[in-house]
Amino acid sequence: MGRTTYGQRSLLAIGLIALCIGTGDFNTQVRAELESVGTTKKGMGEFFIVRADGIEEKLQGNGSLPLYEGDVLKTQTGSQALIEFRNGIQVALNENTEFTILSRWEKSNGFTQILRLKQGEVWVDTQGGPKPLEIETPVATAAVKGTEFNLVVAPNGQSTLTVIKGIVEFGTAFGTCPIKTSSISYGNRGKKCTNPKPLNVGPTVAWTNGIRQ
Amino acid sequence: MNHRSMGFSTLVGFLTIGLISGCANLMPPAPLLIEQTKVYVANESSNSVSVFDGKTFKPIGEIDTLNHGTHDLSLSRNGKQLWATNLASGRISVIDTGEMETIASIYTGNRAHVVTLTNDNRQAWVANIGNDTISIIDTNNYRILGTIPVHKGPMGIAFSKDGRLAYVSSQDKMVNVIDTAAQQVIKRIPVGANPHFLVLGPNGRIWGTNTGSQDLYIIDTNSNEVVQTLEVGPAPQQIAFAFKGTSGPNAYVTVAGLNKVIIVGANTEVPSVRGQIDVGEGPNGIWANSVGTRLYVGHTRTNEVRILDTGTNQILATVPVGRKPIRVVASK
Repeated sequence: MGRTTYGQRSLLAIGLIALCIGTGDFNTQVRAELESVGTTKKGMGEFFIVRADGIEEKLQGNGSLPLYEGDVLKTQTGSQALIEFRNGIQVALNENTEFTILSRWEKSNGFTQILRLKQGEVWVDTQGGPKPLEIETPVATAAVKGTEFNLVVAPNGQSTLTVIKGIVEFGTAFGTCPIKTSSISYGNRGKKCTNPKPLNVGPTVAWTNGIRQ
Repeated sequence: MNHRSMGFSTLVGFLTIGLISGCANLMPPAPLLIEQTKVYVANESSNSVSVFDGKTFKPIGEIDTLNHGTHDLSLSRNGKQLWATNLASGRISVIDTGEMETIASIYTGNRAHVVTLTNDNRQAWVANIGNDTISIIDTNNYRILGTIPVHKGPMGIAFSKDGRLAYVSSQDKMVNVIDTAAQQVIKRIPVGANPHFLVLGPNGRIWGTNTGSQDLYIIDTNSNEVVQTLEVGPAPQQIAFAFKGTSGPNAYVTVAGLNKVIIVGANTEVPSVRGQIDVGEGPNGIWANSVGTRLYVGHTRTNEVRILDTGTNQILATVPVGRKPIRVVASK
């Protein structure tokens, strides 16, 4: 076989790139379902991961278990946990917390990681710069814009968002409120999120001191 | 250019304009610009949406939903976006109808069954059979804005004319009435076995089928009571409203157990069966064109859509689509 010329190699490269671009979206979506989206960092007390096939895994102490889309993460009374997503976002779970790891795909924006928080309390730090993350509660969605925040879901679905640093778009079916540093807002069923009120946020995230060490 | 030639040019200009405008009056009027009607068919076992021309019945293409178990469809009022549920994936596919491609995939819940756009098209409501919930999606940014718990196995969704109430059929033989402002179930209406499809009728009432039995029911949106029931045959599926000449509006009900479309008068206080049309095996999805002269009927067993002429009750054409077509919708 003769040697390929520079022009032939260039055409081949362009062709391969075009092929990758042409099939990228679908492959990316499939890959997202197969690859881990993050890992556990620490578990204190009873911290469970329920896989999509129903298999239950438990983490006690430090340990790196892979996390996948569809996993349900649960902490029991007196338990806490810390996880980290591949893009560096850290999430701490307070006691009696449960959320599912999901995602949304858009052709124009790619993947957005989604945590569907059924109950309990989470602290989130996007670790520098905006990252595509949203937290869904039964009555609202918190869309992250590069920030550190705390979110609590009560048994009746009431959602309390405290922004430690940065900005979060807090939306219910009745409107969206941008919540900024050191302020708090509430989301209730059938109502728009409340106007942000200033708050000393230190006590709100004091519960994370142990798990983040 | 001197003044004389300028005057001549001006004269020629005026004459030209006059000639054009004069001729324009003599020319026959331009035909009304009628946009293409596109018919969309959700193929549950092909994971796709088939598209064909609603007038020529020629195939236009097939759209990959990028999910599994494509089941129900809801088309935006402007026809630009098609929302599809995917039972097996628990996800919604958002389809750009101009580009004929899926542009977003949103997880709503286990066994995402039906999707209905609110009257103002600002939200999409999705019934998740496996979670006993309704997910509310913002159609602008695709975020889930809330989740409403309902009773066992939500199956169908329809909104009242004013959008203040949502009706959700559930597997416990009930229709749940949801106050859309409070996002809570405010009443439960007993209906029949396996209530499934729901649709707002031309009389402002909610029409539904009891797929597990043989009848349809009509709910008054003021009293929120079933005001009429009518036996139409085993396993009634979906309903569309159309006309037969001067007669109508009529409800056309696909009855899978009979392989027929049953015609029910929808313009009287007490509905009655007015006729029936033999169709193919397993009729399920049905949709009327915007003027109510054509019906597009999906057949789950033979993988085709048959087009019925409501004036003659005859089948005009049969269009092959994907495997197990469940839902059919069409643009205006």
